[in-house]
Amino acid sequence: MARQSEGIQIRVNGSLYRLEVDSSRSLLSVLRTELRLTGTKYGCGAGECGACTVLVDGEAVRSCIFPAGHAHGRTVTTIEGLAQGGRLHPVQEAFLEAQAFQCGYCTPGMIMGAVSLLRKEPNPTELEIRRALADHLCRCGVYPRIIRAVQLAAAKMAK
Amino acid sequence: MSEDVGQQREVPINRAGMTRREFLRLTGGVIVLFALAPAAEPGTEGQPGPDSAEDLNAWLRIQPDGRVTIFAPVPEVGQGLRTSLAQMAAEELRVSVSCVEVVLGDTARVPRLAADPDEPALSAVGMRVRAAAAEARELLAAMAAEKWDVSRELVKLDGGQVVLLPRPGTAASIGELIGGRRFVRRLGRPTPLTPPSEHQIIGESIARLDGPAIVRGQARYVGDVLLPNMAYAKLLRPPCLGARLVRADTRAASAQPGVIAVVHEGDLIAVVASRPDLAEKATRYIQATWEEGAHPEMSTLYQDLRESAELAEPARQQGDVEAALAGARRGYSASYRAAFVAHAPIEPHGAVATTEGDTVVVYASTERPFAHREGVADALGLRASQVRVITTAVGGAFGGKDGAEISVQAARLARAVGRPVMLTQSREEELTWNYFRPAALIDVRCGVGETGGIIAWDCDVFNCGARGAWPPYGFPHRRLRSYRCDAPLRQGPWRGAGGPANAFAREVHLDHIAGELGEDPIDFRLRHLSDRRMIRAIQAAAERYGWRAHRPPTGLGVGFACARDGGSCVAEIAEVEVERLSGQVCVRRVVVAQDSGLVVNPDNLRNQIEGAVVMGLGFTLREAVRYEQGRVLTRSFASYPILTFRDVPRIDILLPASRDLPPNGDGTPALCAIPAAVANAVFDAVGARVRELPLPPASIRAAANR
Repeated sequence: MARQSEGIQIRVNGSLYRLEVDSSRSLLSVLRTELRLTGTKYGCGAGECGACTVLVDGEAVRSCIFPAGHAHGRTVTTIEGLAQGGRLHPVQEAFLEAQAFQCGYCTPGMIMGAVSLLRKEPNPTELEIRRALADHLCRCGVYPRIIRAVQLAAAKMAK
Repeated sequence: MSEDVGQQREVPINRAGMTRREFLRLTGGVIVLFALAPAAEPGTEGQPGPDSAEDLNAWLRIQPDGRVTIFAPVPEVGQGLRTSLAQMAAEELRVSVSCVEVVLGDTARVPRLAADPDEPALSAVGMRVRAAAAEARELLAAMAAEKWDVSRELVKLDGGQVVLLPRPGTAASIGELIGGRRFVRRLGRPTPLTPPSEHQIIGESIARLDGPAIVRGQARYVGDVLLPNMAYAKLLRPPCLGARLVRADTRAASAQPGVIAVVHEGDLIAVVASRPDLAEKATRYIQATWEEGAHPEMSTLYQDLRESAELAEPARQQGDVEAALAGARRGYSASYRAAFVAHAPIEPHGAVATTEGDTVVVYASTERPFAHREGVADALGLRASQVRVITTAVGGAFGGKDGAEISVQAARLARAVGRPVMLTQSREEELTWNYFRPAALIDVRCGVGETGGIIAWDCDVFNCGARGAWPPYGFPHRRLRSYRCDAPLRQGPWRGAGGPANAFAREVHLDHIAGELGEDPIDFRLRHLSDRRMIRAIQAAAERYGWRAHRPPTGLGVGFACARDGGSCVAEIAEVEVERLSGQVCVRRVVVAQDSGLVVNPDNLRNQIEGAVVMGLGFTLREAVRYEQGRVLTRSFASYPILTFRDVPRIDILLPASRDLPPNGDGTPALCAIPAAVANAVFDAVGARVRELPLPPASIRAAANR
């Protein structure tokens, strides 16, 4: 049976939301269904593919296995919240420059993973990029371009 | 092209008095349509118009302001089709790509295309778009020539207007030329296409038009569709493959929070609820009794395929294979195998359906919207014209989303509950309940003659189909037989169909024979080839890699393979490192040289080829659907590991292009050649000749340490 509803307060992409939802529901489900932020994707429901990656207090998490209750009182950034004042985030720009997508379904999670990586390591080696993003899956096989995009983004952000 | 009805005939349409259906009856066929006002739309989004007729089939429309809309039946599935089609139309009409709007995969708005499924979409659709655009260009040029009373050669389309060449200041806009009239043209005579030497937009690496939406998270996939009053459905799945539902008690499930209905209609049983998670939870409360069928076993797969085989089509034969084999100096026979593979798109299957009166609208994630339309119409007892399929962005398909099942299920549920329904699959469902790439068993018998060349090639293909199995080499005696088999798992379309398995068998076998005869694998192939495109691709790959016939041992293995697919020739070289103790293969570098005819967008083609190499390495090295007692065991990415960032080699791509041939460029050819290139490299590295996909580490280890 569903647990009794309780209030969750989350700041998502700069806006504060008070939600009456079951705190054990996944953050992904709450973002997509309650807030209609559909840029974050479902891929596996088990934290294995990275399509649902969002930032919670700047840290990349797999929102499909992250209980919404754990986001209470914290700040969530989704793909929709990356661009600032209409200007794309350097990682988004770099993905465009490298044309680092095909079907685009894994792209939002990839971008969030890359943003998180570059916060921790502004100048990663290729090996560090491969390791950091190893659990992000892309069935179209765009990995080589994503590596290039992350390198490009690092260069942009260093300026 | 059909009969010539494309005379300089204008069909004025009384816009006030004529319906679109009447208008279409008058014109029919394929039309190029110029209109002052936007033509009557067949239906706004979400509801089919009264005239969403079967034969609605405009390929192109030009508005007086110079805006061009092209309509194409094949959706964007990440192959960059939207951008490539816009480039082709823009080239023929001499407008910038930004003036071209592309409508894809909406059965109420796009023409239907009867095409060979093996023909690449870019060629099948692109050549029609180009023809339509070229015809429109000629019509506009003719109108301008008439207006200025000069010959056609003296006018030219440029940047959305027609200019008079002798007097550069004189120009007429498209709106001026159309002058409020409506021109309908049926593609009849082949209009000359712009020759490759004059291309300015075709051949340019234009960035994907849908890229900005993708990086912003704004691309709309089927799971992102939101309709008023929409409910969410989850199917109850059987305990094993082939099980039949005997009875179900749905009372407890019906009482669960958020549940709108539990639908049980024949073989379909599902919960429809206000939220996806609630629907999923409630399915656990259905008390269902299933009757299990026969349990397919993996251990006897290849034996079962062989024993159930029936010739699928007449044998293809050239010369007398049996006699040539009997008279050959040496003979080489072997069997090759390829496992069932899952398409495993990151976006699982999904569909949204809504019923309105006697019509159904389905938002689908598919490459084949018309097949989904027919599937839904058949299942619901409707005419095809009563079903509209709107393709959303597709999060990967690879042939796996051709089948209409999910759209049918969503439509049945929407009709049952009388409101819009979204049905999506979990990852486990995606990897368990959809069809797979057919497993393959391929027998090759080959005879070598007195001069050390192959004189006879006999190939029997079980279960995976004959695509790519007829050797591209000039062996004098050849035979190909393809057999249909009773497959233990559901199987269906796959990127390249049997192409990868057939190329694997052939190219590994050739490598083996070349080795036995002490010949260089590339030289050995070249002596059997006359196809200049293939020869050029092979030479390009060999040169880029730095292939040498007699290399000193380096600890690395290098392997070669080539293939033909869908009008393309591809040559690939793989460089691998093999860990002797474990039999694990690490692919370090891949060189691909692919001639796909005219290249519309080189960067996009490179992207497709890179992706195909990566996907191909997945089913070369580790992907296999495993099953036991009728249960698929590989139900997650943990148990069905696709390739990751860790596994990606350096990939060099060369595009030796035959610009006068149609644009056949996609990733499929590269997908076909990669398994054999890697397998041959493994042999080169450690002497392990492996004839099974995925390459089993145990076999490699055993052979390496023999």
